[in-house]
Amino acid sequence: MTRLVEVPTSFDDRSFDQFAGAYAQAADGERLLFDAHAAEWASPYGLVGLLAAGEAAGRKGERPLLTAPANPEVVSYWARAGFFREAGDLFEVHGKVPKLKPAVESEVLLPVTPVRAAEDVHAVVSTIQQRASAILSSELGLDPKATMGFAMALSESCQNIVEHAGTGGWVAVQAYNWRRKLARRVVVIAVADAGIGFRHSLEPTQAKRFGERWGDAAALEAALIQGVSRFRDPGRGQGLAGIRRYLARWEGKVAIRSGTARIAIVPGWDDDVPLKDGLPAFPGSQVLLIIPEQASEKGPSKK
Amino acid sequence: MIPHINVHAILQQSVHGFYADLVTRPTGRAVRENIERDLPAGTIAVMDFTGVGCLDYSCADEIVAKLVRDKVRVLLLRGLTEAHREAIEPVLAGAGLAVLCERDDGALEGLGASEPAPALLDELVERRLAARNPGGTIRLTAA
Repeated sequence: MTRLVEVPTSFDDRSFDQFAGAYAQAADGERLLFDAHAAEWASPYGLVGLLAAGEAAGRKGERPLLTAPANPEVVSYWARAGFFREAGDLFEVHGKVPKLKPAVESEVLLPVTPVRAAEDVHAVVSTIQQRASAILSSELGLDPKATMGFAMALSESCQNIVEHAGTGGWVAVQAYNWRRKLARRVVVIAVADAGIGFRHSLEPTQAKRFGERWGDAAALEAALIQGVSRFRDPGRGQGLAGIRRYLARWEGKVAIRSGTARIAIVPGWDDDVPLKDGLPAFPGSQVLLIIPEQASEKGPSKK
Repeated sequence: MIPHINVHAILQQSVHGFYADLVTRPTGRAVRENIERDLPAGTIAVMDFTGVGCLDYSCADEIVAKLVRDKVRVLLLRGLTEAHREAIEPVLAGAGLAVLCERDDGALEGLGASEPAPALLDELVERRLAARNPGGTIRLTAA
């Protein structure tokens, strides 16, 4: 039997729970059909999240099916964002998919890129420094020195996969106009894996401390707010703390979803909630970083 | 003679491929182990970051904090960019550790936790590796 999992028309961190809800209803052994034919837009978070779902579904049963977006512009964008290069290994893809190489264009700072080992993180950091420097300073109004901090935040986000997921994952970085909240340009880093998630990663060292409160939400709180790590080494837990410092400086946002919970450090321009629990279960961890264009006296640039 | 560690050169020896960035724990570990191999315990060492691109928090901890915690008596950093300092400072401060760094004008200053830094400067002066200038700054006399 094949179960349909609908990909939201506008697929981003806000609609991800709707997607996760459909995914969570699947029973082990059921073949999944991810239906994106009606998709009109997907954020980097949606794209890497869909790949994580595909990997997890393939582990539980038959290789999942994916219906590509019917809209030629949308499917072309997904191809240029590097999605289909990775999706081909995970899904049986149906629909017309253009054979395009991932783009080197102003919006796609880093196409969907697999992260499996430390070498991949090196390659990602190297690429982003070449690509992002001009965009961060000229389009987002960040101090040119902030580019290095951006690379650091990206590195630490990707290392979360290498060190904690127990499997590979994906990262994507894009810049776009964010009309929903800000009417400003933003740069978005999205990282997703279908690994063990924060709760399982931290359970051996932290569960006892939290007692009955222990769960996905407590694990996320421990990692992001308290800076704890599964390693007993005293210097561990620096990565997420560093990301928080960087984002606080540039009014950025970080949100992490793992298992049935989602935690966020919410800047003044956003109305997200800091912690959500009891969400539909989804494997691994999904990290979202948003760095907005810096407001100047002249107001946001008109790019 | 103070041992001089060229971090960029050691990075090239420690990982496959040409990388200028000090990122990820495994890379940091490989670089630190290469440094430790030729460094006597309890020594005073100069570590030069010239040519290093991005330094992330994991590498700052894996290399700088662990050397200070477990291997060297005084670590003096030079060739740091502002971004390097931003990665190293909170990692050291969080662990109650400090290093010295040489500014572009040659003056030495503490980086990391504020408490241990004056003692590090005093030690260099006592050993005549650094001297106080009339303006109050401290500079290396040799290295």
